[in-house]
Amino acid sequence: MASEDARYRQSTQYRLWSFSPAQLSSMREKTNALAQSNISERLLSTRALPEFLTPAEELQLLNFYTIDLLRAGNFFNLRTDMRATAAVFLRRFYLTNSIMTYPPTDMLKTCLFFGCKAEGHYPSVGKFAEQFPNTTGEDVLAGEFLLCQGLRFAFDVKHPFRALEGAIMELRRYGNIEDSRISSAHSRAREILKFSPLVTDAYFHYTPSQIMLAALSLADQELAERVVHETFHHPALSDGAAAAPTRENRKGAAAAGERARLVGAEMRDRVLEVVNACREVLAKEPPERMTAYWGTPDSNQITRPLLRKLKKCHDPDRWNLVELQRARREQAALKEDAEDDEGNGARGSLDGDGAVFGDADGRDVKRRKVAKAPEDPFGGPL
Amino acid sequence: MSRKPAVAPRASIGGGGGGVPGALAISSDDMCPVCKTIRYLNKDMEFLINPECYHPMCSNCVNRLFNDGPNQCPYAGCHQTLRRKGFRSAFFGDLTVEREVDIRRRVAAVFNQVEDDFETLGDYNDYLQQVEDLTFDLVFSGADEGRRRKAEANLQQWEAEHKADIERNKKAGREADETARRRLAAEREAARQRRLEAAREAEEERLERVRSNEEALDQLAKGDGAAKVQLKRRGQQGRPVAAPAPEADGAAEVTGAAGRLSIRGLKEKKRAPESTGPYDPFAGYDFHPDRYKLRDAFASDWLDGFARDPKHSTGGYDVREYYARAMFDAFSGMGVFIGDEKETGSLDMSAREVADFGAGMAAEQSGPVVAPSIRMEVDDVFA
Repeated sequence: MASEDARYRQSTQYRLWSFSPAQLSSMREKTNALAQSNISERLLSTRALPEFLTPAEELQLLNFYTIDLLRAGNFFNLRTDMRATAAVFLRRFYLTNSIMTYPPTDMLKTCLFFGCKAEGHYPSVGKFAEQFPNTTGEDVLAGEFLLCQGLRFAFDVKHPFRALEGAIMELRRYGNIEDSRISSAHSRAREILKFSPLVTDAYFHYTPSQIMLAALSLADQELAERVVHETFHHPALSDGAAAAPTRENRKGAAAAGERARLVGAEMRDRVLEVVNACREVLAKEPPERMTAYWGTPDSNQITRPLLRKLKKCHDPDRWNLVELQRARREQAALKEDAEDDEGNGARGSLDGDGAVFGDADGRDVKRRKVAKAPEDPFGGPL
Repeated sequence: MSRKPAVAPRASIGGGGGGVPGALAISSDDMCPVCKTIRYLNKDMEFLINPECYHPMCSNCVNRLFNDGPNQCPYAGCHQTLRRKGFRSAFFGDLTVEREVDIRRRVAAVFNQVEDDFETLGDYNDYLQQVEDLTFDLVFSGADEGRRRKAEANLQQWEAEHKADIERNKKAGREADETARRRLAAEREAARQRRLEAAREAEEERLERVRSNEEALDQLAKGDGAAKVQLKRRGQQGRPVAAPAPEADGAAEVTGAAGRLSIRGLKEKKRAPESTGPYDPFAGYDFHPDRYKLRDAFASDWLDGFARDPKHSTGGYDVREYYARAMFDAFSGMGVFIGDEKETGSLDMSAREVADFGAGMAAEQSGPVVAPSIRMEVDDVFA
């Protein structure tokens, strides 16, 4: 295993937030089913059950909101990595939480704000919230802890942007490629990276370097393949040795074999295969499609009904994040008070324990014994 | 024994035959029992004894009686034949002690085993007890002539039988003594060198101080730019003090080469635990790139400005950091196949899955390139 890969495997992006396509879709289905059952439980008391969003529709809405987020980021002149981090946060959050449970319009702001912080830019909440219509700092902050929980506290997102710079540097080093060609491929790949991987599931299925290569190959396929070929330059094992490896043969070629495994032709072919798969994913959402998600009649036709549907089927208890946050705080305060009361009660009225805190369980027996003892040090009245 | 006795022998040993010391007391400290000369008459009077019978007599008597060859001991009743050569001055005032020490020395020369020669400490202790018994018989069995004879015979027999062993042990003992002696000498020499060195340095320093003072005074006397000159001198004064330090180190090394500085009485150091190499904060992670080579400079249209911009470089920014990060980002995880790895849950797929996968791939693509790789992994798994 190459040391670069070993180090990537240490990242939370690989350990917590990388899934095969099958895993990802099953997770989405599970999230959707869970949200449906929870929401229907809550809605039953009030009115008839509405029609719920399907996982596919949820994904479509998620893409819509991701693009909303990117637009907002553009509008606020946020750096590329902040925008990208915020988008990845949003997609990760709605992997384990349904869009029907928590309001995406609010989470989007929280994601943007938190993405800025994760990338080392610390705007003031008030000023940040002012940029949105009808938004206060409280709205932005309400979902922050929720978001952190949803992200499983993994705030480091590995992006392909710097990787692209590295690849371009490597391409320039080869020396026999025209500069203008590299530059144009560079800028095109950057455009793609700023949009396509963020509105697809590329970040879940591919590593930043593979995403970068896919984007580069969309811009200029030859250049991307050149990078891969130059990297995995080791000559392939001769067919005879590979087909019938005797013991001595293997021993002799152990070192060479290891080297070949790291940067040989087999690895190259596997990498190319993965890059092509990623390329197909990215090709579905080229940067030109950004405008296709809003404002055009087509997009309106797709998203309007979904939004209308969402309005009916969203979770009534959790839709208002500010209220939710306040309720949770009050609950926590109540709990604390209750704990305090319990402490006082034990010292104060001993008889009332059972009445106030319900039936005394076995756990309290000892304490009650201890507390009661000093009541009658000399026994009952004569 | 070349050392002179601190006092003249006070006790004379009356002797039954065979040189067994009796309890005869001498009448006077300073009178030769043979010629009755007293110290008053001869200030340089010196008493000598012969280990055959330990009867003291003055050196004049020895010269007089034994110059012409072996002669009988002049003491009444002592029939030992003594030679001039055997006489020496006694180390101890009490001649019984002198005799015991001599015997013990002789026994120790024969029974010269050390603890290392024995299997257990108990064996060694038994041996010591045995030797002590024999010594005791030799020394104190004055009345019992038989026991003494027997012990003597034992001793001689042992000596005859174990000549080689004794010789070897003696040699080992001598060598140990020799090394100890040499070490002591080396230590003493090193200490002497250090003292000399320190004295020399002190002297140099003193001379330097005197010289600089004189120079300063001269400068002041000349009176041109006096204050400035003085300041300058003061500044320079600090330096020569620091300069001799390496020289002193060198001297210390020289003495160290002659005899290492060591502290006596220290036990031999225990062997240090097997070293596991230096501490690795990255827990064995290799940061050496496999897929790319980091170079000192990469061509980049927008980075070159940063590389030379003092606004960045002054703060410690090095554009190579960026190179390293960018190249690492570009190539790290290139060979991580999330789809496969997350499905199978392992980095290297299990043999069966690999086989299935390989069969599927072969059926799909019938590609000759993929097949060998998969077969190779299967080989690895079963290796």
